[in-house]
Amino acid sequence: MRRTVLKSLLATAILSATAGLPAARAADKEIVIGGSIPMSGVFAFAGIGIHAGIQDYVKMVNAAGGIAGHTLRYVPEDSAYKVDQSVAAFKKITSQNKVNFYYGDSTAFSKTINPELDRAGSMIMSGASFATELNDPKKYPYQFVAGPDYTQQFGILLRYIAQQKPGAKVAFVHSDTEFGRDPIETSRGVAKALGLDVAIEIMTPPGAVDVSTEIAKLRRARPDFTIFHGYILGPIPEFIGQARQMGLDTQFMGTFWTMDNSTVMQMGELAEGFMGVMPYNYYYDQSAPAPMLDKIRAMRPEYQNVPYIQGFLSAMLYAESARRTLAAGKEMSAANLKAALNSIENFDTGGLIGVPVTLRGNTIPVGRIYRADTKARRMVPASDWIVLE
Amino acid sequence: MRIGTARSSYRHDEALFDSRTQHAWLAILAVALIGFPFLADEYWLYLACLVAINIASTTGLNILTGYTGLVSLGQAAFMGIGAYTVAALEQKLGAPVLLNLLAGGFVAMLGGLVVGLPSLRVKGLYLAIATIAASVVLHFVFANWHAVTGGHAGITLVPAEILGLSFDTSFRLYWLFVPITILMVAGAANLFRTRIGRAFIAIRDRDISAEVLGIPLLRYKLLSFGLSSFYAGVAGGMWAYFFRVVTPESFPLILSIFFLAAVIVGGMGTILGAILGAVFMTMVPEALKLVVGWLPLSADATLILSPVRTIVFGVLIVGFLVFEPLGLQEIWRRIRRFFHLWPFRA
Amino acid sequence: MSLEFDWLFLAEIMLAGLGAGGLYALTGLAFVMIYKATRVVNLAIGEMLMIGAYLCFGLATAMNLPMWLAILVAVIGSGGAGALLERVAIRPMLGESPIAVFMVTVGLASILVGVVELIWTSEPRRLPEFMPATPVMIGEAFVPSKVFYGFLVAAVLIGVALAVFRFWRGGVALRATASDQQAAYSMGIDVPKVFSLSWTVAAMIAAIAGVIVGAVGGISSTMGVFGLSVLVVVIVGGLDSVLGALVAGLLIGVVESLAGGFLGGEYKLLATFLILIVVLLVRPYGLFGTHEIERL
Repeated sequence: MRRTVLKSLLATAILSATAGLPAARAADKEIVIGGSIPMSGVFAFAGIGIHAGIQDYVKMVNAAGGIAGHTLRYVPEDSAYKVDQSVAAFKKITSQNKVNFYYGDSTAFSKTINPELDRAGSMIMSGASFATELNDPKKYPYQFVAGPDYTQQFGILLRYIAQQKPGAKVAFVHSDTEFGRDPIETSRGVAKALGLDVAIEIMTPPGAVDVSTEIAKLRRARPDFTIFHGYILGPIPEFIGQARQMGLDTQFMGTFWTMDNSTVMQMGELAEGFMGVMPYNYYYDQSAPAPMLDKIRAMRPEYQNVPYIQGFLSAMLYAESARRTLAAGKEMSAANLKAALNSIENFDTGGLIGVPVTLRGNTIPVGRIYRADTKARRMVPASDWIVLE
Repeated sequence: MRIGTARSSYRHDEALFDSRTQHAWLAILAVALIGFPFLADEYWLYLACLVAINIASTTGLNILTGYTGLVSLGQAAFMGIGAYTVAALEQKLGAPVLLNLLAGGFVAMLGGLVVGLPSLRVKGLYLAIATIAASVVLHFVFANWHAVTGGHAGITLVPAEILGLSFDTSFRLYWLFVPITILMVAGAANLFRTRIGRAFIAIRDRDISAEVLGIPLLRYKLLSFGLSSFYAGVAGGMWAYFFRVVTPESFPLILSIFFLAAVIVGGMGTILGAILGAVFMTMVPEALKLVVGWLPLSADATLILSPVRTIVFGVLIVGFLVFEPLGLQEIWRRIRRFFHLWPFRA
Repeated sequence: MSLEFDWLFLAEIMLAGLGAGGLYALTGLAFVMIYKATRVVNLAIGEMLMIGAYLCFGLATAMNLPMWLAILVAVIGSGGAGALLERVAIRPMLGESPIAVFMVTVGLASILVGVVELIWTSEPRRLPEFMPATPVMIGEAFVPSKVFYGFLVAAVLIGVALAVFRFWRGGVALRATASDQQAAYSMGIDVPKVFSLSWTVAAMIAAIAGVIVGAVGGISSTMGVFGLSVLVVVIVGGLDSVLGALVAGLLIGVVESLAGGFLGGEYKLLATFLILIVVLLVRPYGLFGTHEIERL
């Protein structure tokens, strides 16, 4: 009696153990989007938006019958914006599912996982990183950026500045992180080519308490335009506040991660007139017909941040490359998916981006300058869409 | 003292594991370690490799902190030295893997010796803070010595390759990392049966008395620093081959705290403690993920995961220090003792 | 920049450094207070700052208290939290090795960060403005208003704290305990109460420093990094010296500012820690600390 009980116990133990191991599901007729999403940690505000964006698009496509008979399945895992946990999530998701597309949470992750992508050869990836380095199809054949990389974002800003005030003095203020340093070196040359004068580059240490020293430097350089990069909100309001107090007349500008409407509005009064580059339309944009934005607004009546749009667009691009690959009757391999993605030209995003987009290299080099209007509590367009060649 | 282990030869007396039961358990462990990669999926193999790396580094820190009594918050930075050395050698020279790992260990050792120099003048907390200073300085070097470290972008390296075999999956790396870690742990276990190891322990218990007994303090403290950083360096080298990208932000201060916490939670000054501590601290976040996933919370349950993890990390440190200062290793011993006497005494 | 040396720039940087230094000194004072009374090296000091700032933020935004009341309640609340921490985590460690207690505070730091992220998420926030916005000119040098008033508050508080130590009964008990625990016991001083008191008062001072730091640079769950610089301050000044904390606080503030101004932001932390290393090598017990002689 006792022995049989033991035996059955052992059997169930072994069964459950093996069942917990590689549980590769029958994955026919399914397209899987995996994701290391920073739903908690320092980057949570973006992660939550991205998560909702991908989720909504997947829901929408499946409700409309999927892609050529395939349903989309989204398998996210929280990464807490830490590389080791992102990698763990990647291993977990890819070993338990047949993943075709992956969303990564950081530049470090994109770089770390790149050899895995090359080796697997079965999926392509995009993510929350706009790092300039990723825009190299030779080094990163299976990755792309769903927007302009940081250097291109600077390029769009600088081009706008050169239009507004030829020969203007520009200051770059950036954080001492990989993120902060990313576009600085390359943008120096871009500025010069546009006839602009980079009067000063200021690097702030991460977690800086007080930026009075940096502001004293900025004041001496007297730039016409000051571009912040490598922050979300960080010391930007402090810079603007002190600059206003001293009567320094400079136009402050930011890049993608600073530019969400709610982030800018957190600055309160100081936000007035703040400008920056944004590759997407904001949630509330009504200036042009945008069927996708209408659908998003119908699904979620409350404001969705720009990471949401970014996640949504990423999923849309995944779906489009899957659609093209399947339509050509090709196998869903990384090479085919990426080739399909690169064949995207003048693609209509349904108004997420105001102009038809073309993927160049690994990025979509397009953007528009917006300006903060604190009375309306909204970012309003200050330029037309700028497409870099 | 266990019964039934009468020793009849010097060899038997010197053996690290001396009873038949121990040998049997070791054999089972060996079989489990060999069998594991064939049963586990990529995710578990990934965790196994990470655990192996962490065990190597924690064992190193245990030599310094647990056995010699010198607290260091620079272990992650020394790992960084090892990782950068390996990455630079691999990228610039393409030197063989095992040589790179050894070189990583030795360069980290040099770093450890330099940082250890003040250890004769300052000790205790001051030393701990001096090691924080060393990590800050090293971080600066990693971030700004572009020619070697590649600055903030860091170094990306190709998979390790031995005899034409590319170590590009966790499955293969497992066969590289686990033997190295076992070798390092065995080395540490034997170290404390030698004069050097016993000198370390004497220094920990009271350094002035140790000096009176004729143990040259500076030499042994430096040796301890050197050994500990050697372990960290090799662990860092494995880390580099594992993640294949090394950046200044790969080795933050919190990682040093993690290793110190692993030593404390496992049990200071025991080999088993470092192993248990490293395994436990590496697995806790993953276990938490599972638990939070099971809880019947709303879909937003993952949102609280990161703060909960941070809290649990702190609670573990405080809890073990307050309630179980001897760590997991002591709990393990109690369980073992219970089963030793089991039918006769509960 | 012009060839001629910009003296005004130097002056402004020095003043900014002094402003930051005032906050270092204030936090250093809280740190030294805990160390003197309980011999605990409190690595969680930066996180105590953070708790104070977040309490104030929560009270001012969620409960809509006016700023002065929010600060007051936050300071009292932080004092309570300090007493609680002492009772729950530090008291049981009485008599343990200093390293173990140090590690307990490391754990506490992690818990505090987690709690803040749980309640307020890790998104950076801004405290409501409560300081006058008109800049202050000292001679021709421009001093940002927050830095100036922050320094002023720090200076006043330090003065008050020193006076309290000197004349108030509790302060005297604290100093007595610091100089000789046994003797204090035998003189009828309730030593555990002094422990509790020191943590309470230190937490309150830290909370005020936190509110000022938060007002200057915004608050986030990573603002505890500030504690790292404070650690340097107290080691350089001498762990058990109030005067040391004050002098070293100003010194480190100015050095950081000079390094940031003339070399670049990445040199700030490097400069302070190099000073730390030099001090540890030359005077391990700090500039003004007591040199303890170890005997067998």
